[in-house]
Amino acid sequence: MSRLQSSINTASADFRRNEAHNRRLVAEFRAKQEAARHSRPQRDLERLARQQKMPQRKRIEMLLDPGTPFLELSSLAGNMAYGGESPSASSIVGIGMVSGREVMIRADDPTVKGGAWYPLTVKKIVRALDIAMENRLPVVHLCDSAGGFLQLQSELFPDRYMGGRIFRNQSMLSKMGVKQLALVFGHCTAGGAYIPGLSDYSVIVRGTGAVFLGGPPLVKAATGEDVTVEELGGAEMHTSVSGTCDYPADSEEHAIEIGRDIVSQWDRLPRWEAQREAPEEPFYDPAEIYGIVPDDIKKAFDMREIIARIVDGSRFHEYKPAYGTTLVCGFANIWGFKVGILANNGVLFNDSSIKGAHFIELCNQNNTPLVFLQNITGYMVGREYERRGITKDGAKMIMAQSCSRVPKFTVMCNGSFGAGNYGMCGRAFDGRFLFSWPNHQIGVMGGDQAANTLAEVKANQMKRNGGAVDKGEIDKLWDETRKAYQEQLSAYYSTSELWDDGIIDPLDTRNALGVAISASLNAPLGEPGYGVFRF
Amino acid sequence: MVLKLDLDGTVHNVTILARRPHLVLSIDGRRHVVEGLDEAGDGSRALTLDGEPVAFARAGSADGVIVRLGGRSFALRRRDAAADASAAGGGANVVRAPMPGTVIVVHKRVGDSVQRGETIVTIESMKLQMKLDAPRDGEIAEIAAREGEGFDKDAVLARLAAPAEG
Repeated sequence: MSRLQSSINTASADFRRNEAHNRRLVAEFRAKQEAARHSRPQRDLERLARQQKMPQRKRIEMLLDPGTPFLELSSLAGNMAYGGESPSASSIVGIGMVSGREVMIRADDPTVKGGAWYPLTVKKIVRALDIAMENRLPVVHLCDSAGGFLQLQSELFPDRYMGGRIFRNQSMLSKMGVKQLALVFGHCTAGGAYIPGLSDYSVIVRGTGAVFLGGPPLVKAATGEDVTVEELGGAEMHTSVSGTCDYPADSEEHAIEIGRDIVSQWDRLPRWEAQREAPEEPFYDPAEIYGIVPDDIKKAFDMREIIARIVDGSRFHEYKPAYGTTLVCGFANIWGFKVGILANNGVLFNDSSIKGAHFIELCNQNNTPLVFLQNITGYMVGREYERRGITKDGAKMIMAQSCSRVPKFTVMCNGSFGAGNYGMCGRAFDGRFLFSWPNHQIGVMGGDQAANTLAEVKANQMKRNGGAVDKGEIDKLWDETRKAYQEQLSAYYSTSELWDDGIIDPLDTRNALGVAISASLNAPLGEPGYGVFRF
Repeated sequence: MVLKLDLDGTVHNVTILARRPHLVLSIDGRRHVVEGLDEAGDGSRALTLDGEPVAFARAGSADGVIVRLGGRSFALRRRDAAADASAAGGGANVVRAPMPGTVIVVHKRVGDSVQRGETIVTIESMKLQMKLDAPRDGEIAEIAAREGEGFDKDAVLARLAAPAEG
């Protein structure tokens, strides 16, 4: 494999302008992330201290093996929902090392409405457990939640992927032999009580931890019975009478200590042996990514320049380099792991789609995980391309990609529009992980296109109704449509709704992928085979 | 097997014709005999090239090897066959539209001299602005692209003057 030759001029005006633009975007992202992680009303922090509870991030820090990385997922989930009152969707989720094992950590956030679950909290927990199932990652639950946010129950309780799914996933994980541990720091009320109930192991803190289907106020209302929290679901009762929890702990620190000891007893399931070489840092400086990604989503750039700043030694074996050139395909290593990369260098044509489908087949045959680097405005449209079968060629790519047996990872490096999102392993295609850069935009079409289309329709309507075209009204419609689109196209909206596993600083792409690929190796490869390709 | 070796930016084709009793190479079609690749006392090496004794030193670098010979240093790098394939197809005289679209900016005028990789026109198609670059060094002979106008796939948007011989 030879080193990619970069042709970036770091002194050029374009580079400087892009760099300033992208550094500003990343600074904005960091500020939002910092606020979501740490900014809480003083009274909530004081209440936590009064209860002698640690802040939720401190708990995670104590749980992790010292000096090991923690890949936090979806740190800005919920950032554009509920008027911003549910930072990180009131939940912390991430992958880290506990007692030498890669685990999924999922923690309630007691500093927001007593740790109540908003609809997006539920979505985030379900996603965390999906990740655990797909990658066979043991789970450590850090429980401290008042239960579902009752005002929004219709959005978090009844449907297939709502509340019940958490407990269904917990059951499936256990059936698969993937361990779960619950550390009960605070209340586990109503459905939340099943989290320790369905975990293989549970530890509960004396005095603050409690597990019950209905808390004292609900019991009082339902039956008139007067009962204290301790009597109803405290540590002594559950560990000595009901058997709902296994180990009582004297403090949060003690619970974490017991928890780490439990995890250290767990057997290590065999990992899938991926092709691996000695890791090597990229030859080109990843910080140069800031100067490469343009300041306007419409401007094209060479994705090889990005690949050169993500992969080991900036080395890349490009497959079919002179064919279907708008899709760059090739082999590289990330953290030493062999991967097959598909990256957009323009619109997908017939030849690029077929090349992509073929390359995906090669990677499946070669047991090589797939990395998709998206910057796609779609498959080519127009008479010539339809006659050549652009739809059936795109379908081949979607078929090969959907049926892949190797793990898939997607990074939204810029635009993701229309059907290109599908072929390039968008959210619906069960990639193991999907990360977005702050400049990312996603939608069925761009804001300008949607505004133009609707303005055109409106103008025709006015003409049909016999009136003159009201320019002012058309302009207003155009502005409103574009504004609404721009908001929903943004990476922040996307990550708020959990259409990804989090926004990342482009500089962290290599490490995020490294952790993700390593985590994916805990699960065996899927079954080989595809459906019917349309030739 | 033909090895492609990049010596200070120039690619040479090297074929190993024989390894024993001496190393016999064909370099760009010329035959050379290499004898006695020995370690000298001071860490440098000595060999005989076509009967002439030569002293040299080598050191690995991130990109390949650095060879010191006759008081000069040379960077020697093996060219990847796959990498070469993508470089093929250069040297054309025309800049063609890769897809139907609209011309956004014409950056050069007839008579301008351009270097390979310099942008001649920026086009937009499918919501994406793309730069079409000079396929080689040369002089602009014709610009067919007009800003704001549309074009079909494969339309010639610019043409370079034929290269001078030599």
